[in-house]
Amino acid sequence: MMRVFSSTLQRKLLAATLVTTLVSLVIALCAMVAYDLHTYHESWVSDIATQADLVGHTTAPALAFDDTRVARENLELLRYRPQVRAAAIYNARGGVVARYSTDPKEADFPKLPEADGVRVESGELIVFKRIVENGEILGTVYLRAEYELVSRLWSYAGISLMVVIVAMAAAFLMSARLQRIVTHPILAIGVIAREVVQQRDYSRRAEKMSDDEVGTLADAFNDMLGEIEHRTQVIEQSNRSLESEITERRRNEEEVVRLNQELETRVRDRTVQLEAANQELEAFCFSVSHDLRAPLRAIDGYRQALVEDCGENIPEDGQLYLKRIESSVQRMGQLIEDLLNLSRVSRGALEKGDVDLSELARQVISDLKQRDPERAVDVSIWDGMMVKADRRLLRAALENLLGNAWKFTSKTESPHIEVGMLSANGNATYFVRDNGPGFDMAYADKLFGAFQRLHAAADFPGTGIGLATVQRIVHRHGGRIWADAKVGKGAIFYFTLGDGDAVAQGLPHSEVSA
Amino acid sequence: MALLNMHQPQAWNRRKTLHTLLVGVFAIILALASARHCRAEADSAAAEYQVKAAFLYKFVGYVDWPPRAFSNADSPLVIGVMGADSMAESLRQVVANRTVNGRPLVIRRLRRGDQIAGLHVLFIGHADGDRTSETLASAKGLSVLTVTESEDALAGGSVINFVVVDDKVRFDIGLGSAERGNLKISARLLAVARKVVNSPS
Repeated sequence: MMRVFSSTLQRKLLAATLVTTLVSLVIALCAMVAYDLHTYHESWVSDIATQADLVGHTTAPALAFDDTRVARENLELLRYRPQVRAAAIYNARGGVVARYSTDPKEADFPKLPEADGVRVESGELIVFKRIVENGEILGTVYLRAEYELVSRLWSYAGISLMVVIVAMAAAFLMSARLQRIVTHPILAIGVIAREVVQQRDYSRRAEKMSDDEVGTLADAFNDMLGEIEHRTQVIEQSNRSLESEITERRRNEEEVVRLNQELETRVRDRTVQLEAANQELEAFCFSVSHDLRAPLRAIDGYRQALVEDCGENIPEDGQLYLKRIESSVQRMGQLIEDLLNLSRVSRGALEKGDVDLSELARQVISDLKQRDPERAVDVSIWDGMMVKADRRLLRAALENLLGNAWKFTSKTESPHIEVGMLSANGNATYFVRDNGPGFDMAYADKLFGAFQRLHAAADFPGTGIGLATVQRIVHRHGGRIWADAKVGKGAIFYFTLGDGDAVAQGLPHSEVSA
Repeated sequence: MALLNMHQPQAWNRRKTLHTLLVGVFAIILALASARHCRAEADSAAAEYQVKAAFLYKFVGYVDWPPRAFSNADSPLVIGVMGADSMAESLRQVVANRTVNGRPLVIRRLRRGDQIAGLHVLFIGHADGDRTSETLASAKGLSVLTVTESEDALAGGSVINFVVVDDKVRFDIGLGSAERGNLKISARLLAVARKVVNSPS
């Protein structure tokens, strides 16, 4: 029981109890002592005053009849009261009639009697009492008795101190036992709380030991633990499901990545295959076209020989036929040339260098003008357009685009061709615009297909390969090409060349006006 | 004192006057002294009676009379004085405006042959010495506090007898006489008496 009051709660409770006990002890003792001393004073004063009265009454006859001997004898009776240290009788005139003292050598008596009264002087009680008989003052009694108030006080103090010590010791022992009744349940809860926190074991519960507020505390504590336990379980559960979800997702992601990688590989393979196939086709096309030229040359040669050598002998129909053969051979030759061009464009390394597009366009236009000097076409070429491109191929592309523009504005009243550029987001988009007949945008996707012609050969000559070639060139530069047109209003061909693939949708289409 | 102017130029005249003066002064002093002595004697006698009167007055408080002695609660207490006029006078002074146990006190001077009955206290002075025993005899059996100041008056039947011892007034008490008169004397008075005589004469 006297183990260790390690818990400050126990110490506090004990201290509180002891202080309370001490205070109540002190108050009680003080009250009792004070009351006792008061009672002592009152009763002692009353006693001595009564004694004075008695002495006075007894001595009255002696005073009345002036008998000092009897007066002295009366005072001597005070020997039976050793607490009375000295006494004296004064007559009515204030003279001393008789004296008495426990100390025979004593001579310290007041010279004159004072008025009736009781007072305390240097630890002694002094009483003066008039002797009145039959309405007349016969004299005064003087008594000096011991007064033990202070010594009583000291003895009480001593007793009180001992009582306090003993009582405090008893209180200490008692409350050491009793405070456990209060602190034990509380400390038990504290222990459980600490353990729960340290071990994270929320299944523990505190024991409810009493049916008071501490019991309520224990219940509330247990409820909280129950709640925490439940929540922890819920959280753990959701954690687990989350974890499984995450693993699932990760697995899916990995799957996706794996599939992507597979795709990549497949694409790579296919690209390689396609490129190989393309290259084969290219080579095939080139060689076939090339090989087709020889027989064509032979046909044309023999036609020519026929016209020159046997011309007079051939009837008119035959001459007509020979003319038809000539134009067809020419057309086929042109077709083969174009095909060869197309193939050539696809082969060979791309040598990108700084090319002045404006200058190149001007050269192409001047060539066109040279070939067709009667035509008056208004051409505006923007200045200073520098591009990074293969000069040869770019020239071919411009030749095609400008050639088309030249060709298709042949029937236009005041033909106008423009070569310029737009820039958006730092990417340059170049355009070739004409105010020719344009085309129906519904067929736009067919524009760049090889051999696709949107106009009849009778209206505008052409093999239909030109735009396919331009597209091939632009694509080889890593750019894009597209067109915008309105029937009867004209056409614009946009293209980009290389880094920064300009998003076509973002570019404005300018109104083409004649 | 008469102032005597001495304007006599002659030396023998002056001497004579001086001598007369001295004798005169001496005579006056002597006369005064003797007069004072007589006065003192007279004074001491008067003083004694004053003390005795005071004592007598006090005696009353220590004595119980039988109920028949008083008609009602505030009927006066009668003190008769015989043969001592100065005592009567002193008594009158002492008793004036005083009561004992609520009773007023009346002093009556008695001549020879006056009735004793009706008195509560009778003082027989020694001037009336030869008649003392007669008076005492006539008072026997009556509830009268007889106070005397003669030598053997107590034997004669008085209750209290004054004596002067060492220049102090004291008294003796005869209890037997008190009993015969149905008077009860407080023991406190007995305590201060010089002598208490019990047996009746």
